[in-house]
Amino acid sequence: MGRSGYLNKISVWDADAARHILSRSLFGFTQQDVDFALSKTLDDFVDNYLLKDQPEPAPPIYNGTDWTIQPHNSANQTNYTNWYYSLVFWWLNMMINQGFSFREKMVWFWSNHFVSESSTVQVPQFIYLQNKLFRRYALGNIIELTKKVTIDPAMLIYLNGNQNTKSSPNENYARELMELFTIGIGNYSEADIKQAARALTGWRINNTTLTSYFDSPRFDGGTKTFLGQTGNFGYEDIVNIIFTKPATAEFLCRKLYKEFLYYQPNEDYVKQLAEIMRANNFNLNPVLSTLLKSQYFHSEDIRGAKIKSPIELLVAAVKQFGISTDNNFLNYIRTKSKDLQQEIFNPPDVRGWEGQRKWMSTTTYPSRNNYTDSIINGVKIGSITYRTDVVAYARSFSSSEKAVQFVEDVTKLLIQFPLSQARKDFLLATLLDGAAVYDWSTYDAQAKTRLEKFFKALMRLPEFQLS
Amino acid sequence: MKRREFLHNLAMATGVTISVAGIPIKAFARPFMNIQSSSGKILVLIQLKGGNDGLNTVIPLDQYSIYISKRPNLKIDENLIVKLTDATGVHPALAPLKPLFDEGKLTVIQGVGYPNQNRSHFRSTDIWLTASDSDKYIFDGWVGRYLLKAFPDYPNIPPAHPMAIQIGSVQSGLFDSQQGGLAVAFDNPDSFYQLVNGISADADPPPATIAGDELKFLKEVAALSVKYASVIKEKADKGNPKQDYSKGGTFGGQLKIIADLIAGGLETPVYLATLDGFDTHANQANTHQTLLSRLGESLKSFQADLEQLGFADKVVVLTFSEFGRRVTENGSLGTDHGAALPMFLVGKNIQAGIFGLNPDLTNLDNNGDVKFLYDFRQVYATMLKDHFGMTNQQVKDVLFKDFQTLPLLKLITNVEDEKEIPAQFTLSQNYPNPFNPETVINYQLSAFSFVTLKVYDVLGKEVATLVNEYQQPGEYNSQFSIRNYQLSSGVYFYQLRAGNFVETKKMILQK
Repeated sequence: MGRSGYLNKISVWDADAARHILSRSLFGFTQQDVDFALSKTLDDFVDNYLLKDQPEPAPPIYNGTDWTIQPHNSANQTNYTNWYYSLVFWWLNMMINQGFSFREKMVWFWSNHFVSESSTVQVPQFIYLQNKLFRRYALGNIIELTKKVTIDPAMLIYLNGNQNTKSSPNENYARELMELFTIGIGNYSEADIKQAARALTGWRINNTTLTSYFDSPRFDGGTKTFLGQTGNFGYEDIVNIIFTKPATAEFLCRKLYKEFLYYQPNEDYVKQLAEIMRANNFNLNPVLSTLLKSQYFHSEDIRGAKIKSPIELLVAAVKQFGISTDNNFLNYIRTKSKDLQQEIFNPPDVRGWEGQRKWMSTTTYPSRNNYTDSIINGVKIGSITYRTDVVAYARSFSSSEKAVQFVEDVTKLLIQFPLSQARKDFLLATLLDGAAVYDWSTYDAQAKTRLEKFFKALMRLPEFQLS
Repeated sequence: MKRREFLHNLAMATGVTISVAGIPIKAFARPFMNIQSSSGKILVLIQLKGGNDGLNTVIPLDQYSIYISKRPNLKIDENLIVKLTDATGVHPALAPLKPLFDEGKLTVIQGVGYPNQNRSHFRSTDIWLTASDSDKYIFDGWVGRYLLKAFPDYPNIPPAHPMAIQIGSVQSGLFDSQQGGLAVAFDNPDSFYQLVNGISADADPPPATIAGDELKFLKEVAALSVKYASVIKEKADKGNPKQDYSKGGTFGGQLKIIADLIAGGLETPVYLATLDGFDTHANQANTHQTLLSRLGESLKSFQADLEQLGFADKVVVLTFSEFGRRVTENGSLGTDHGAALPMFLVGKNIQAGIFGLNPDLTNLDNNGDVKFLYDFRQVYATMLKDHFGMTNQQVKDVLFKDFQTLPLLKLITNVEDEKEIPAQFTLSQNYPNPFNPETVINYQLSAFSFVTLKVYDVLGKEVATLVNEYQQPGEYNSQFSIRNYQLSSGVYFYQLRAGNFVETKKMILQK
């Protein structure tokens, strides 16, 4: 493939291509999902399923009430921990029940791009509203989203925009807006940060209506010179000027590349995608459509090269094995996500989670194995033990009674990395546990024990961590 | 696209904050000499994440009126400041450090930074972790590079104890190297041991693809966990710290674990602990107070443990942060990103005191930030050379160029060490120059000699004798401070006499 062909559409739409698209655009998938995707054409599946507009979901409820519209005040504050958990469970359910929509992956993308930390913002209503904003613009216009984020209450709190006033500017948001959210480091000066901070002054939050508002006495109405332009700029002007710079589309496409392809950007690909982004005036839908169908996205360089995020790992298991989604189990997922260093709504800092190799340490690696073991062994919470019914799961494969083919089918579905023959032999030996191939049957008395060993061994392979 | 092109593009992409873990980058490959490890010394690094407000940490009493004019709300009351010297005090939350200072176990290294300060958290953190120039992108950590020199047979013959330990669950770029991440990271030795139980490592070579690189990386992480979990637990069980670390919060717990492991006999040369939360753009006072209190209390307990348990000779502790903060406070009762800041060095065998001058609040950079006096890599060079006993050439290989070391450590002759004897007598230009009030004069002796180092004024009148004794062959750093003398601005000469060797150089005092 020549460099000019990176964005060309793939010519073969087969099971490998379908599994790759599903593994990168959804939080886990089943064999039925692969079959469904292949029953459509590539264009039809990507444009009319993955990228289709979806209705907005109903808000989370705690104890029968919609807490997301309750004012932020000290009386309500006593409920905030419960409301925060209810928000976490709500979002996990959103991911588990996402259908074929790419939207939830993009909500994650934006929340790890325009970063806030719940532990800093401390108001679950604002975190919900920000999450809702990301969902509304998940596949939409990035310029509009950036403007909305700039005056979003959670962001105003997190990066001190609500304390940025004419008499005492606070540079925090202005710096991160450029460094991390839009144009990238090296494309602006310290003076541009100071000038942008002045243009971003005047915004405050109404804790009763849960909205932000413009307080003109706090706004610096003087002339600003920003990225070479001069005028009495406000926040929308600042965002507009930033998006006229070529570096902005490239910065955003590099970020998309790192999330959906590989953590070391291929600059040729990034530049070509940035042209599409600019040509479509920063509307995301056509950009993602091109990305998901592109030859380089589907190349062997990219397939199986991404280290799963903790949330991808955790939620995929729930989806694949059909484990319960009640709040007790979702709370287990929540605590595990924390152990694996991806506590939902609490990234480590304003850069967000860096991902890929940063997910893996000598502690988080064994913790992942510990989790995958636990969903096979069973997790006891209160009087209920949550576990995978391995025999039923095995029988969902048409090859369940033919050991060699069964190992082939299961590994293809669960492991995106091309598995060596030695690995498959090892897994087959684990499954048979000394018995002969022709003796294998899921109806054997030992089948459950053997399947449990097999699935634990499979998910302990380092290859399983790759997507 | 080939891997090489990827990396090329990566380096060319000026718009990216790059902090890539342990990629083997051939461009940096050099043949390694087979050298000794760490001479038994241990360096404990403490990262203060977020950019510590140096000015409210170490307060210039000699410029107190300017200080309060820049910090009308955030100023520390003069009568609350814990005085270290007449000119320099520390935040009241650091009171636990005062006895250490008085006992000669604490050094404040003033004004540490680097040319063309970057004010991004992430870029500046990368610069500190990789020891790169402000405009260069390096992909391995300075400690990672040191460790590959100290353990040249790794990974073929892995050492019996971990090369580095990080308390925490996310591996730091500090330990990235061409051979992958070199640190074992965990929160707690017991739970780490439980966790690792049952993991197996394998040696199948992964395919030569991008995805294969990632698989190789995963296997290395698994192998490190398996190899070291038992020895870490064994040493932690054996060690028995006596001090109470509870006032240090979870950070105190980190240092307690490190004390545990050192006392248990773990021979790991580098540890990293992290205290997060220094990005105080708003309502700084309480946050900063809490953080500094945890730091001060923990350092106090840690040093006391090391002394009581008999390990104080081996260990020094060094704090660092990506930048200091703006001298003028902002309107949110906080401070924005700044430039140079002080570092703390704690240990028994250090040259204790205030090293360098208070920040000059009347002479700030264009951005209104403190200018740097010392490059942070001078401090690293000092640790590598004077603590770990590396040669000048080895230090240069780790830090990419020569950095003048600073007289921060007491140099103890260790007979077991293979000492590097200079080829000739040399007298180097003093640093900094021009200077006020202190400067360092470096010289090398190739043979045992009677040495004098004296300072003269332009009229040839002797103003100071810095050295007047027999000395072993080796490299020396002599510090000259005008504090003890009545000297005016102008040209001075310093002269080294050692045996038949005589050399004179000029230096300028600029008040």
